[in-house]
Amino acid sequence: MQETEDVKRARQVFEDLLVEDRQEQPGVRLKFFNLSRANSAELFDRAIEAFLSHPGWQEVMQAVPGENDVFGPKCPIRHNYELLQTPLVQTRLRALLELCDYNGLHVPIRQILLLLTNAVLGHPDAKDHLMVPADVPKVIAAGTVSKASLYNNIFGGNLSAIRRQAITIFDYLERFQIGYETSNRVDNILIFGEGDENLGTYFEQYVAKDDFYGADARFYAAKREYIEGTDENEERAQEFLQMLVSQRRGLFFKIPKQAETELALWELTVFKFAGEYLESVLGVLNKGAPVKRPILSRLVKGLNRVFTGMLINSDRELYLATSGNYSQAKVSRILLERVSVDPSKGEKVTLRYDECNGRVVLSVFFAPGLFVDLNLTLIRYEFLSRIALEGALPASFSKECYEDLLAFKSQLIAACAKRQAGEQATPGLAIGLNLLTLTDQGMPDPRFVEIVP
Amino acid sequence: MTPLPQPLPPPDSFDQSSSMWVDEALWGHRLYDEQLPWMVFLEFLNVFYHEADKQRAFAEPNGLNTLKYKAAHRLYLRNILFNNPHLTDVRINFPSDNSRWEEWLKRMKSAQGIAHAQFSFLREHFHSFEDFCDIVALVRSTSLEVDSNKRWTSKFVFPYGKDCLFEDLDSNAATNDRRFFGRTGEILYLMLCRTPRKQDLLAALNKRLANTDSTWDSIIKCLQPKDDDQISGDRANAFLPYERHPTFDELAEDWLAILRLSIPGFDAFPHLVNLAGLHLLKYQLSISRQVLGLDTPLSLICEVVAPRKTLVREVSCDLYQENNLLPAQAVEAFLSKIETSPDWQQALTGNGAYERCRKILREQVRWGEDYEGPPDPQQLMAALRQAAMKRHRQHVGNIHRNYGREIGLVSRRGTVKLRYAPTDALLRTLLFANVEKRIELHQFLAKLYARYGLVFGDKEAEQVLAKDEFGKKAFQANSRRLEQRLGSLGLLRRLSDGCAYVVNPHHLEAQ
Repeated sequence: MQETEDVKRARQVFEDLLVEDRQEQPGVRLKFFNLSRANSAELFDRAIEAFLSHPGWQEVMQAVPGENDVFGPKCPIRHNYELLQTPLVQTRLRALLELCDYNGLHVPIRQILLLLTNAVLGHPDAKDHLMVPADVPKVIAAGTVSKASLYNNIFGGNLSAIRRQAITIFDYLERFQIGYETSNRVDNILIFGEGDENLGTYFEQYVAKDDFYGADARFYAAKREYIEGTDENEERAQEFLQMLVSQRRGLFFKIPKQAETELALWELTVFKFAGEYLESVLGVLNKGAPVKRPILSRLVKGLNRVFTGMLINSDRELYLATSGNYSQAKVSRILLERVSVDPSKGEKVTLRYDECNGRVVLSVFFAPGLFVDLNLTLIRYEFLSRIALEGALPASFSKECYEDLLAFKSQLIAACAKRQAGEQATPGLAIGLNLLTLTDQGMPDPRFVEIVP
Repeated sequence: MTPLPQPLPPPDSFDQSSSMWVDEALWGHRLYDEQLPWMVFLEFLNVFYHEADKQRAFAEPNGLNTLKYKAAHRLYLRNILFNNPHLTDVRINFPSDNSRWEEWLKRMKSAQGIAHAQFSFLREHFHSFEDFCDIVALVRSTSLEVDSNKRWTSKFVFPYGKDCLFEDLDSNAATNDRRFFGRTGEILYLMLCRTPRKQDLLAALNKRLANTDSTWDSIIKCLQPKDDDQISGDRANAFLPYERHPTFDELAEDWLAILRLSIPGFDAFPHLVNLAGLHLLKYQLSISRQVLGLDTPLSLICEVVAPRKTLVREVSCDLYQENNLLPAQAVEAFLSKIETSPDWQQALTGNGAYERCRKILREQVRWGEDYEGPPDPQQLMAALRQAAMKRHRQHVGNIHRNYGREIGLVSRRGTVKLRYAPTDALLRTLLFANVEKRIELHQFLAKLYARYGLVFGDKEAEQVLAKDEFGKKAFQANSRRLEQRLGSLGLLRRLSDGCAYVVNPHHLEAQ
């Protein structure tokens, strides 16, 4: 095509829409649909519908298979297929894909189909790690049905580590660290729950009752050895730990909605606040309602701690501070400005949902029309929440978020300077600095220092 | 690779100096490994501000290699900040503001390097002793080398403005002993004098420096008396042996790109420092390759750190070792060239060969005065070789390693051997210098290779490596890891399987 002005302009428009994730641009009569940007959760709904209602499934079922045959009562493929039909498994899987979207990881449709196929057919001992009908009787005979667990296959647990890392969807799901993250309560149920007065019912309900992937003879034996510590064999202990990974993955798909809070479901993932993010932030904003104040306060407190580098407890105002030389310095003691969280003289901090690109946005307003947006991804939400509540930086994802938020701070400082422009101090007059210190309670206690040139 | 440009004649002061002139002839007077990039930048600023004040920044008005400048000492400021352990003590033990001031002023009468030290001017600038202490603590917290165990005269105020600049001094605070200001900043300055982009650079640098927040420079000024005019004698004898070199231009272009970013004033400095370090390192290696007559371009295979050993790591380690030897090989080649020169060959014939050869060495590399070995040209040359290599290894030969580590290019992370494994900070600097708004990832990789010889991906590696060293998959994985790293730094947008853009967020801000 000839490089005319129109061609150049069109290319620029497409590139802008593509890179900035937008569907349209003012002044351009064009709607741009980027198929790789379709909402992963919606794609999942369609994919699973098509996958489960494939007529092939009915055919194998109607063949009235025997006990150890494919699609017989003991067949793991059949069990996986049935599990995939349960609303609970679907909901959790859908939530994971939705959360991927909010971390900026988009899952294309072929990856979803790949995930579903692997979930149903996966088995580490089969050729290519996927079962074909002829494998089923062998698997049953070998007593390795539990290795075909759908819960484990969803995370590519049947594949080798190298293979798993090379497949996009498993790479994405691995970032949740499901199976490796846990809470004391969950591990107590799994290890000491059997027959326990308090935990026994949970063990019974989620582990013992599951004939396929719950506690089988192998699990009980390994558990006993592990608890009694009779066997010094490292390998055996490793095997049990690996079983725990599968069981925790199982729990993630078995704990029902009503027990989510009680058993702290999301602590089975890296993102402890993911459930809250889905329900109390996304769910609420999608309905056009405001997010609860404690959540906003917590985010503001997290931001303040990052912005000042101190364990500050203030959450009613946003504290913009610098160190003097770099805006990126770790500790910033010079207070530049405080921005009110509640609407006041044009200032406010809000959370909203951006329809245009499907993101949660935290906006800081300095004046009506003068504001800076932060794309509040799941990972940033988690990071800020943990900093606010625990004060510590979760090492696994601290660095990237930390840098992002410092970049956000410099944008805020630039906007703040914009508001201040025109109010420049007269030269020759005293220089005033607000030095930020904290009280024992972590409340800010700025001290004003003046220097006379 | 282009051939080595014709070196410039040694400076007039050539005869006065006492040390040999080998490393200097190749790379200038001089590259000094103990002067890490931040110190290089500070020395550069001292020169720059002085010359800019005289309206001749980047000009070399009296001809090449005639730079002469003076640097401030600012001993009041430095005694207050870096040689003053009394503040907390005085604040605790003396209750009233007046008694605090008096006690502190009494103690400071013995401030080093100042005759009749009088610090009472400070009382005009601060309402209370406590305010003064707070400001000192604040300025210290942003100073350079504060936490190192360097002598107090080698600690520096962050360069907020020209009132913050001074030169490194010996421990008596008397003179610059070239310990940490080893003239590499002068080399940097001369490099920028010799690029066609110097006018643009001057404008951009002036604009950036003028637009920084002047508050801090004003505060630092308050810590100095108005008549503190202690200043060094003429600093001369800087020498850069080439009138032009592609490295000078590339350095200027990179600095220009950084200076034009829309980032807060002083945030540009760390990037400038990193790039100065990178280009000095590259300058040394490029000249070495030119001296050795190697015609392949310089390549630095970079590992994006992987959890376990990879082919990329192995190749990178090997190449690091290879490159690390280049400067020493260049010294060797330089000396061989003297030995095979017609002058030397002719001197060897007939009587008095030893004296004639010795004269050649005295004239060309200023060495031989103290030679006490047997009067034989071969032995003389061997002794020179030994002395030159020994001297080279002490400082100039460590630039590649020390600067490389300091700017985050060279690392030992996860291994025992050094290799090229850029840090996030360096990646960010490179991106800011090379991406105006956004470009596709593969274009970015190609650009990094073309400009710096940095190799990340399989396309570039294939051009550089022999077939048996190259592994497509390993390098593809390497660039995938780079992509992830850039993504997590917020500098990359992956749009589909086939297309990822590297973005410079500070360009977007400017819009």
